Amino acid sequence: MATSRREILKLGLLGLASLAGNSESASAQSRNRFVFANSSAFDSLDPHTVFDQGRAAVRFNLYDGLLRFVDNPPKLIPWLAESYAVSDDGKTYTFKLRADATFHDGTPVTSADVAYSIERILALRKGPASFYLDLIEPGSTQTPDPHTVVFNLTDPSAIFLTTVPNILVVNSALVRSKEKDGDWGAGWLARNEAGTGSYILRRYEPAVGWSGQRFTNHFAGWAGQPIDEIEFRTVQETNTRVLGLMRGDFDGADGLTYEQIQRLRPSPNVQILEAESMRIFLLALNNSKPLMNDVHFRRALAYSFDYDGFIKNIMKDSVTRNPGPNPVTIWGSPPGLKGYSFDLAKAREELAQVKQPLRKISINALAGYSESEQAAVLFQSALRQIGIEADIDVTPWPVVASRFAKAETQADVTPVWRSTFYVDPNNWVGEGFGTRYHGTRTMSYYSNPAFDQLLDQALLTNDHERRRELYEQMSQIVSDDAAGIFIYNTRWFGPYSTRVSGIRFSPASNGNDIRWATMTR
Amino acid sequence: MNVVSMVVNRLVWFVPTVLGLLAVVFVLARIVPTDPAVLAAGENATAEQVQEARERLALDRPLPEQFVEYLRQVVQGDLGTSFYTQQPIVDDLTERLPATLELTILGVLAAGLIGVPLGVISGLNRNSWLDHLLRLVSVLFIGVAPFWIAMQLQLLFSMQLGWLPLSGRIDDFAPEAMTGFLTIDALVAGDLQNFLSALRHIVLPTLTLALPGAAVIVRFTRTSVVEAVNSPSVAYQTAMGLPRRVIVWKYILRLALNSTVTQLGLVFGISLTGAVVIEAVFEWPGLGTYAVRSILHSDYNAVMGVTLCVGVLFALSNLLVDLLQMAIDPRGAT
Amino acid sequence: MINLITSIVRHRTALVGLILLSLVVAVAIAAPLIVPYPEDAQTFHIERRLLPPSSEALFGTDRMGGDIFSRVVLGARMTLLITATVVLSGVLIGVPIGLVAGYYNNGISLVLGGGAEILLAVPQIILAIAITQSLGPSIGSVILALSVTYWPFWARIVFTETRSMCHETFVESAIALGVSAWRVIFLHILPNIASSIVVRTTTAIGTTAFASATLGFLGLGPPPPSPEWGRMIAESRDYLPDAWWYALAPGLALLLTVLGCTLFGDGLRDILDPKTRRRG
Repeated sequence: MATSRREILKLGLLGLASLAGNSESASAQSRNRFVFANSSAFDSLDPHTVFDQGRAAVRFNLYDGLLRFVDNPPKLIPWLAESYAVSDDGKTYTFKLRADATFHDGTPVTSADVAYSIERILALRKGPASFYLDLIEPGSTQTPDPHTVVFNLTDPSAIFLTTVPNILVVNSALVRSKEKDGDWGAGWLARNEAGTGSYILRRYEPAVGWSGQRFTNHFAGWAGQPIDEIEFRTVQETNTRVLGLMRGDFDGADGLTYEQIQRLRPSPNVQILEAESMRIFLLALNNSKPLMNDVHFRRALAYSFDYDGFIKNIMKDSVTRNPGPNPVTIWGSPPGLKGYSFDLAKAREELAQVKQPLRKISINALAGYSESEQAAVLFQSALRQIGIEADIDVTPWPVVASRFAKAETQADVTPVWRSTFYVDPNNWVGEGFGTRYHGTRTMSYYSNPAFDQLLDQALLTNDHERRRELYEQMSQIVSDDAAGIFIYNTRWFGPYSTRVSGIRFSPASNGNDIRWATMTR
Repeated sequence: MNVVSMVVNRLVWFVPTVLGLLAVVFVLARIVPTDPAVLAAGENATAEQVQEARERLALDRPLPEQFVEYLRQVVQGDLGTSFYTQQPIVDDLTERLPATLELTILGVLAAGLIGVPLGVISGLNRNSWLDHLLRLVSVLFIGVAPFWIAMQLQLLFSMQLGWLPLSGRIDDFAPEAMTGFLTIDALVAGDLQNFLSALRHIVLPTLTLALPGAAVIVRFTRTSVVEAVNSPSVAYQTAMGLPRRVIVWKYILRLALNSTVTQLGLVFGISLTGAVVIEAVFEWPGLGTYAVRSILHSDYNAVMGVTLCVGVLFALSNLLVDLLQMAIDPRGAT
Repeated sequence: MINLITSIVRHRTALVGLILLSLVVAVAIAAPLIVPYPEDAQTFHIERRLLPPSSEALFGTDRMGGDIFSRVVLGARMTLLITATVVLSGVLIGVPIGLVAGYYNNGISLVLGGGAEILLAVPQIILAIAITQSLGPSIGSVILALSVTYWPFWARIVFTETRSMCHETFVESAIALGVSAWRVIFLHILPNIASSIVVRTTTAIGTTAFASATLGFLGLGPPPPSPEWGRMIAESRDYLPDAWWYALAPGLALLLTVLGCTLFGDGLRDILDPKTRRRG
């Protein structure tokens, strides 16, 4: 009796031990598999609707565009297209497709697929559609032969080419067969994949994430020892990402604050890659609201943010000040642009010139991003010192985005990031402050005819030096007018397992382009 | 009242309750600050498209009419589409329901397994130091916030000791779904690695969920045991000279257990409420996280769907408790 | 009344609960006078952020450099305000509805009772989250959301007790003697169920403090930088395990408040309800 009880106890303890035992054994025996802990949830895999950087992994690994951004500073390289030509009037773009590219199901890629993809983007009107809605008429894209596609723009556009990587090509035959009630296959493509990308979707569970297997027949070929299996898991809890990296459960992660990066440094399993990125953090101002439409009031606000304190204490000096609307790492900012400093005396001087009655202003911080919340709180506390009251509201990104859609709903102040959607100053200063982008990609509802005139010119000309001048002037105007409050440019910190090498970082992919990387087995 | 009439009675009450519930949530969904038509139309939508979405979703019609239209769809098993996941809400819910059920059922079981024995010990040894200790501990666990306990457990077992995972439901992708309960699915598939992984993930959430429930059960069981000890029948048996062990097992425990079963419904309620916030802490992909996320994203179809689903779950659990009670003690049930 | 006070003092559990509860209330009222940094609810010192407990900051500092101890004590006022208002409106709405629905047996009682049952059909917190979100996060919406979702608890208990009271001889004879309904309800029924209401209310204070902290934890309470306990606990998650002290003070404050209510409620039940007193 006593013995048997002891036996049972032992068994129980063994069970407990195996339960508590860490899973290192499990990950050690795993093959050539790269597991990434992604802070954003993959609720949909549709490459034409999901367009935030947090979920860029889907776009870069399962799909391909005609061109592709790689490296830092970013280079545009031929991808599904082997060459392109622009007409003299700058309105016709002709792309020659590679002959050897196939989709994951073996179907060859033809110009019809490209045409279907752009039509689909235009019809769904989400994500990348805003680049093309006023530039390409539905039905205007031509396919003279299976390997030639011609985009006919309504106006010349200097930025069209840099947005082309966003026209991800889907298998038109496959998607068509899944269309339901004219939904362009949106229901199906949200959970499935129909691409040419370097990896084939193997499993997808919205609550867990997705995994992909290397597409050995990928047209770009494979060099060295590529990774065979990739897995992007949704791990919203920051500490789980940190601990998982330390334990070797994860080979990469995003969305960590600098403090967490510092915590990872001593870990023998983790290496931290670093790069200057192109992602600015700003307080987006809604210039169209009463009081906010007064330049003196906006300047008073701009003098009321403790830039140095924020960067030094909250960001731990991991980033550098970015005084203007464009990241300092790209061209288009006037040399020596000063920007504003934390100076409450000057803020009071500007405030004294405000004619309209003061009112309480609204700050809309981003839920789940403590830096955005802390910037909001810091700003609110400084504003109180110059006699301006502010209410803070914290909402998730989709709600913030839907508020940005209308001048009436965008909050007075929104602490937010602007990432690289394409590598051109237009991505920041142009879209952020041009009247033509109101209701689509604006961050300010700023409207200034002088600015708009410069913008029109910059979009029409292909003369790089001329464009540099124009964007520098625009940046100067935005800065003088305090149409936004610009805080810092992000430095990218990529925590990876020491087994990983060859991560090819580009501000467009944020390191999510896995095909170039290698893992020791 | 017999079983059939009780079930019928429940069902009769269930329909108006759910209707009322839907009406409340429906009105709530309509006063959200974000315009559902704008959300449905998506980014970059033109004014016409927003208008089109408004018409498609019948948002331009009077509220009562919209409500009737919504009910018509619900009856047909269509809860609409989520703005956020772009999926039919029925699909979203079926995906997440097993996770919540697995956690809640395990939580209630654990609460019972911890709570009943401790309650019995406490009640049989009334006013001993053990009794006082158990009473103190149970009152503490009723008083402590589940999310706080969850964080302390994470801090100790995941961050400091590294024994258990911090969050999530499984390390890898789930094994082929049969029941949707990962532990069972993995076991059935003979997949030991996934079974252990699922088990390790569910320990902390279950514990967090079980502790307040266990505390309630300890307190209640203790009272029933004390009551049973003092009951005339037990006094009679004692006088008759029956050994204490027999009395404890045959009479006291039975009396006590009967009344404890009635508490299971209450504990299930506590657990379901607890699951909402505990899922948030442990990133458990269940109905709780879905509800919170839908509400935060003003995904009003999803909010209505999840409320309906939880309401049905609640009603079913009450029904189950009633049936259980009836099975144990046919006289006591009302 | 004097009897009640002596019973409470004699009853150890009740006394401990009452002391805890009074302590929380007293601290909340005197908050600005007793905290070392009364301005820390609104003003920040980011150069002092995330410091461990020391003689200067008893429970450490938070992510904005605020003194956690000061903020928790200041937060007690907010919790108290929310809790008191919600419980009061719960009683004011729930008790009359429960009385009317329990006393009459007609359409009105069906509607009132049904209304309560509808709100009890899902976990309160889900409805409360939905309401708070619809109204926008603020103290006001938290109060409204919790009041709307919590009154049915009083309604249900009062309803059940009233129903059973109606079968008591003294009530039946009063009705038979033609005493008006209002007199029966207020003079005969209410005094007899008052003790249940009091006990229920005491425990409800704890539950409400919990619920309001839960809303804060989920990001739906008063917006930052309010020193709301639930929000402070949620904030701390980004800084664990290094800033282990961050959630300590708000968690303990919440624990003491709820503990006080539970103990006091337990004690009161023993004292006021002779049935359970017999049970010991």
